[in-house]
Amino acid sequence: MQTERLFERIDSIHLEGITKKYGHGFAVKDLDLEIQGGELLILIGPSGSGKTTALRMINRMIEQDAGTVTINGINTKDADPVRLRRNMGYVIQNIGLFPHMTIGENIGLVPKLEGWDKERIKERVRTLLEFVSLPPDMFMDRYPRQLSGGQQQRVGLARAMAMDPPLFLMDEPFGALDPILRKQLQKEFLKIKNEINRTIVFVTHDIEEALVLGDRIAIMNQGELVQVGPPEELIFNPANELVADIVDTQRKFKHMDTLKVKDLMSPFDEKYVLEGRTETCDAVDVMTERDLETAFVFEGERLIGQVTMVELMKCRTRSQKLSDVARPVKIFQPTDSVAFALSEMKSTGEYLAIVMNSNDPIGILISDEVLLKLI
Amino acid sequence: MENMLTIRVIADVWERHLMTMRTIEHLHMFSIALMLSIMIGVSVGVFIYMRPKTADPVLNFLNIVETIPDLALIVLLLPILKLGAGPTIAACVLYSILPVARNTYTGLKGVDEQYTYVAHAIGLSPREALFKVRIPMSLPLIAGGIRIALVFCMGVVTLGGLVAAGGLGTVLQNGIQLYQKDAILVAGIWTGLLAVILDGFAGIIEKKLHERYGTW
Ligand SMILES: Nc1ncnc2c1ncn2[C@@H]1O[C@H](COP(=O)(O)OP(=O)(O)OP(=O)(O)O)[C@@H](O)[C@H]1O
Ligand SMILES: [Mg+2]
Repeated sequence: MQTERLFERIDSIHLEGITKKYGHGFAVKDLDLEIQGGELLILIGPSGSGKTTALRMINRMIEQDAGTVTINGINTKDADPVRLRRNMGYVIQNIGLFPHMTIGENIGLVPKLEGWDKERIKERVRTLLEFVSLPPDMFMDRYPRQLSGGQQQRVGLARAMAMDPPLFLMDEPFGALDPILRKQLQKEFLKIKNEINRTIVFVTHDIEEALVLGDRIAIMNQGELVQVGPPEELIFNPANELVADIVDTQRKFKHMDTLKVKDLMSPFDEKYVLEGRTETCDAVDVMTERDLETAFVFEGERLIGQVTMVELMKCRTRSQKLSDVARPVKIFQPTDSVAFALSEMKSTGEYLAIVMNSNDPIGILISDEVLLKLI
Repeated sequence: MENMLTIRVIADVWERHLMTMRTIEHLHMFSIALMLSIMIGVSVGVFIYMRPKTADPVLNFLNIVETIPDLALIVLLLPILKLGAGPTIAACVLYSILPVARNTYTGLKGVDEQYTYVAHAIGLSPREALFKVRIPMSLPLIAGGIRIALVFCMGVVTLGGLVAAGGLGTVLQNGIQLYQKDAILVAGIWTGLLAVILDGFAGIIEKKLHERYGTW
């Protein structure tokens, strides 16, 4: 059966007043939530708070008793569930690879049902296996039971990507893995996430995972949404005890207000410095050599801005000077409060800032890293 | 044994009773009966799995059919299907539906819910989930049912010789009527041997399926 694409990309997903009852209790109660296209939204909360139920109402594995789910303005109730689900990658904790199919067959199952020819499926499987760091020739013809848990979860990820869906639903995908492996897969997943740039709804129990991966975090309790916002917001303005508890501000952020930028910055290194008169093409080479994603542009002693690898690659054709393309960068004093710095950075969407002592660069502030150090 | 079965005796019996032809007849009836049993049995199994309310009545009914003695069943079918292979094949099928259907049903029900869940969640239609996941995963059990059916069919097909169905049963019957001990022995041993070989063969297939599809 060949199904037409329901949507090429996600503009927005709206959950409006969705409610699911089991007996007398509410699994999810009157939940309103907007998921923005391209973001990774975390659902987190105590066990039984309704995360899985909420997630499953998006792909209609559970039908809500009340409320609507709309994706790009399409009410999911009006969509054929099979077609809907083929437009979403789905990954769960216990993975559920089919034991009677090889890894290749598992990944290629939906493409096959979609009528792709053999060559195309094989090609796709190879690409995906490489993408999740499993050598295709080694793994394609194995059966799931011959793989370790971490490898199986990679295959689960590859299977979800088979149809290149614009939306991913992930229910504690790394929940069953041991901590070290989990960290490693999170790191790789982050890479994947940035590469595929898709909309992802991600359920987890693990606040650290939430802070590392999430663009925004939605906290649920007893079927209701307690608070939703970017990580900083939950940390600095928790809506209630529960949120504070989950992000663990009680214990660790007691001295939040007294923390200074200098306590949490990374030391500055000369390697981050590029000269304003350098041409962009040369800068790409230098940055590749120094393994930099972002660099700061100086003219003599004067800081004029920042450049990123991705931007420089774009303007490679014309020969430009860095001083022409550098973007402004946030500057903080070492004595600024961390809370202030983070909220400033958030307001402009920067994840990187430079710390200057009068005219001397002494440190770099990376928002994600700061949050992690706080936890 | 006083009356040793020499090669010469065997060859003689084989020749006189047209045993090559009888064997072909025998296997022919047997394979038709087994094919029909598998097709109908699996269909019934899938049907009662999809409509669980029908499962008990259908299985109970098939159980009753199972208790009718085989010879009686063939004779009962005679007026409807006339002399020949018809009643024998029909009797085989009636007997074999139960093991195949029951094992199919049990197999389908036994597939871990998580696999069906995932199948649906990644976008398989109910039909695709049945054919791509549930049935393949039930194959080891279904094969077990087929193996039982195979043994049933071998027995019933041999009995068919009594109602002019042809096959090796005819040789046996002739042997009894003419009181030719050699013929009875040769045909009896050969029939038994065939059954053992086919069952052994089915056993190997079942084991392979277990290795390939078995999860328990
Ligand atoms: N099929 C069901 N029948 C009855 N109650 C259910 C069912 N599914 C979920 N519930 C209840 O609904 C509530 C929410 O369940 P849900 O699985 O969505 O929670 P969760 O946040 O995903 O929990 P966990 O972190 O343990 O996975 C729970 O109280 C659960 O017991
Ligand atoms: Mg859950």
